[in-house]
This record gives sequence, structure tokens and C-alpha cells, in this order.
Amino acid sequence: MTIKEKGYSHWDGEFLARRFPWWPITRYGIKLTFQRRFFRLIFPMSLLPAVFYLAGIYVSERLEDFPFLRGETIQFLQINPNYFKTYLTQSFMLFIMLMIVIFCGASLISDDLKHNSLQLYFSRPLKKKDYFLGKTAVIVFFLFIITLIPGLLFFIMKLVFSGSFKFFLSYPLLPLSIIGYSFIATGFFSFYTLFLSSLSKNRRLVAILIFGIYFTSDIIYLIFRSEFRSHYVSLVSLRANLQQVGAHIFGQKTPYNISWVFSFLVLLGICVFAGFILKSRVKGVEIVK
Amino acid sequence: MSIEIKDIHFSYGKIKALEGVSIDLPQGAVGLLGPNGAGKSTLIRILLGFLSPDKGGGRVLGYDIKDEQTEIRRYVGYMPEDDCFIPGLDAVSFTSYLGELSGMPSQEAMKRAHEVLFYAGLEESRYRKLETYSSGMKQRLKLAQALVHDPKLIFLDEPTSGLDPQGRSEILELIMDISSKKDIQVLISSHILPDIELTCKYVVILNKGKLAAKGDISELKEIRDLYEMKIKGEAEGFLRKLKAMKCKVEETEDGILKVYWPPKKDRQEIFRIAAEEKIQLRHFVKSETSLEDLFAEVVGVD
Repeated sequence: MTIKEKGYSHWDGEFLARRFPWWPITRYGIKLTFQRRFFRLIFPMSLLPAVFYLAGIYVSERLEDFPFLRGETIQFLQINPNYFKTYLTQSFMLFIMLMIVIFCGASLISDDLKHNSLQLYFSRPLKKKDYFLGKTAVIVFFLFIITLIPGLLFFIMKLVFSGSFKFFLSYPLLPLSIIGYSFIATGFFSFYTLFLSSLSKNRRLVAILIFGIYFTSDIIYLIFRSEFRSHYVSLVSLRANLQQVGAHIFGQKTPYNISWVFSFLVLLGICVFAGFILKSRVKGVEIVK
Repeated sequence: MSIEIKDIHFSYGKIKALEGVSIDLPQGAVGLLGPNGAGKSTLIRILLGFLSPDKGGGRVLGYDIKDEQTEIRRYVGYMPEDDCFIPGLDAVSFTSYLGELSGMPSQEAMKRAHEVLFYAGLEESRYRKLETYSSGMKQRLKLAQALVHDPKLIFLDEPTSGLDPQGRSEILELIMDISSKKDIQVLISSHILPDIELTCKYVVILNKGKLAAKGDISELKEIRDLYEMKIKGEAEGFLRKLKAMKCKVEETEDGILKVYWPPKKDRQEIFRIAAEEKIQLRHFVKSETSLEDLFAEVVGVD
């Protein structure tokens, strides 16, 4: 292989004073996620519930065109904060979010650990904060596509299909509830995923941990519930905590007879713990003592 | 001076990695030498701002190593010792990505990535996934990513490790080209002494976390005169007297004695001792000391 045939020339450009130095990390993270064939297959499927709920909003405004609908279906098609809460906090939706973070987030830090690439990031003018923000934004991007964006789209489409602002005037805080819950759920899943991704160099193991811990917490809750018959045991379930907080944010009756604050504190505690571990796990250099 | 550090101390828990290291490096290629555990990598990590010194301070390219680490990293390139890459990317995307992280605009980073990959000799394989690269190609890629943002100074940590002889000579050729013709200062950390001797004029030798020697290689090599000799007779007394005069003596497999003689001492002393010990000197040549000899001398190993 001959070298220097082309020669080395100095770059005469100017470095950008980027407001968001983490943006290239996010852009490449999204690009690499879409390169995965299985993700390209599963991601469009994750949008199917949103399509179904959007169709529900359309039908709710044209009930006279669908005379065969009755009973529970009609009740389901009552578009109010509960409709939005049901879409965003139902177990199936949380399962979809879990699948998305497994595919887009399990490898985010574990691959960098496996291939020693942290030192490449930190030999650039990046801070730890930028690295974390860049990686978190990858997860946020995909989760917002299935939570925040459909939620706000449902709201707008309801106004469009009804042709009036009556819905907005009836529920003026609903957009804030959608935004608030989307941020909480996405924030939780981001910390949860990045924390587990920083624990191992094996992305498959991380995927198993993300999936396993989520469902194990639910199984433990079911066992405890049958044993102790207390609503407080719901605090051990990640799913139950998200649903409890979600119900409160949308102003609905909480599914468990305890204060939503406890659930919020559990989720917050997990995020703080995850942040603490992440900070110690992600270093520019591996110190061999 | 592009690198000026004073009285740097750093410890990993109870283990002292650097103790009172002070250096001012001139322009050009500088070799950073030392046995394993001498503190070479720690020093580079401190200069890059990965680690903050427990005591002492300094400046790299005029930026403070404690407070202006981000600015230092913008103008410095780093080629790590370990294999490191981002899976799923080809060489162009990888190099351009790291250019963008350095603050280059996206399109210019891509253009520049092509240029440095050509320069590093990876033009044919720049669209191949990095997972398929050989060790030699990965070394070239690491050099390319260190150059993508046109740094003023690059740190090369063991740049020739794991390379075959041809790959090694090509990387060294590149390093010499960068340091001599491209106005980029190079700091090479290596324990392959011939590589340093070939590429650098100035050397810093660390040993057990302390500065063992620094200076121009040609001047440092004059720290001792090397004489090669063959003798006949009872060598024991002769060797004992030479060692008593603080000479280092080595015997090669073919029976040649290598005597490292302090430069200010009169070499006639050798003949006087030989006469005293009734030794015949049958061959006596002043030889050139190598960097290896210098290293052995200051680090205290054979």
C-alpha cells in the first residue's frame, strides 16, 4: 500500500462553536439504530397502536357513519383525558416502549465499552454531560415518536375532526399532561436503559437485563400482592409505578390505592441511582490497577 | 514550547504513577520512553485532560491542563494504544464522525475524512465496515482519526504495536512525514526504542513515575562513551576495577566486552588498569551508543 500519494494538507476551516456538541452522537446513534434490520421491521409496528387510536378519534366524530358500534366500543370512543391516558400508559404500550429501548438503547454504552471507544469520544472537546445527552437523545428520539408526537397529534386531530375548539376549552391542560407524562416515561426509560447498558460489554446481556428486570419487578409485585394483599406492593413494579404516575398526570383515578407520590419517588430514585452509577462507569480511561 | 508541565504528581489510590515530573517540550517529534508502569500513558492522559493531576500543573498549546481541557482536545489529536472503533460504521463515517465531534462542520468533516484516509493509505478500504479491518488497518485508521481535525499536536500511544515489519515502517514513514513536513508536533509514547530513534530528535525518559532523562537524543547518547574490546587474561580483577570506576560493562556472546565509560574520564585509565591486572587488550574500538544503551543506562536495566 503506498502512502502519501495524495499528501497531507492543512484544514483551513473554522471549528463550530456548537450549542449542542452532543448532536453528532445523537445523529449517528439514530443512523446506526436504523441500520439494524430487525429494528427497521419492528419500529413501524410500534406505530400501529397510534394509528388505531387516531382512527378511534376520527370515528368518535363520525359515530353516525358507524351504526354497528355500540356498548363498550362507544364508551371507549369517548375522547377525554382517559383516552389519552389509556393510549400512553396501557401495559401493551409500555411493552412497546421496552422493546424500542432494547433495540435502540441496549448497545449505546455497552458497545463503546466493548470496543474501547470511550477514549475516542473523550479525546474530543466533549464533556461527560455531552456524551450522556447525546446517547439519551437517541432513546428520547425514538420514544417521543411513539408517545409525545402521537399524543399531541391525537389532540390536534381531535380539534381538526370536530371543527371547533370545544375540546381544547374543555381540557386546556391536556397537552401539558401529554408532554409531562411523555417526558417522565421517556426520562425513566432513558436512565434505566443507559444504566443497564453501562453495566456490561455484551449488548445481548444488556437486552436481557432490560427485559428481565422490567418483567421480574412485575412478577414480584404479583406474588407479593397475592401474599400481602396491600396496594403498597405495587411500588416494586416498574409498570405499576409508571401507570400510577400517568393516571395522576392525566387527572384520572389511580389504579392502586396509594399516593402517586410514592410511585413518582420510586421512579425518581431509580433515575438518581442510575445517574450515579453511570457517572462512575463511564470514564475516558480504563484504569488498570 | 507546546507542552510545559511543572511538578506533576498523580496517584492511583496508593500507587504513585507520577512524582514531580516537569518538562518543557520543543517543536518537532518527541519520544516518551519508559518501561511498563513508568507513567507514560498517565502523563498523556493528564496532558489530554482525562485525568487531573493531584499536584502541579502546566499548559498544552498555551491552554491550562486543569481548566481548559476542552480547548486542548480541540487542537490535539490522540491515537490510543488499544484497538478502538465504533461498530457498524465504515472508515469514512467513523473518521468524519470524530471530526464532527471535534467541532468540524458536517460536510467539511466528511471531505476531510476522505483526505486523511487517503493520506493514511486506506483509500481502497474506506467504505469497509471497521469490524473487518486487520490490525495494521486499524492502526492507520487510528492515525487518520487523530489527524482529521488538523491538530497542532498529536499524541501517539504505541503507534506501531502489533504491526508487521512492513506496516511498522509505513506508519513510521507517516509519522516522520507529519512531524518533519507538516508543522504538527508529535509526542510518541513507545517502548520500541528503534522507532523512537528513527522518528524523534528529542526524548523524555520516565522511570517509576519520575523523570529519568530528557534532552536531545544525540546529546543524551554522549552520557557515556562506549568502547568495545577483546581481552586475554584473568578478567575478574580488570572488570572489578572498571566497575569500581562506575563503568557499566557488558559481555556479548562472541566475547566482546562493551564498556560504558564516563565521558569526562581519560580513557588511558582503561589501559592503565589492564596493565595493572596483566590483561592483554587485543581489540579496542570506540563505538557509538544507541538509544537502547541510553535507556538501559538511565532506567537501570540490561
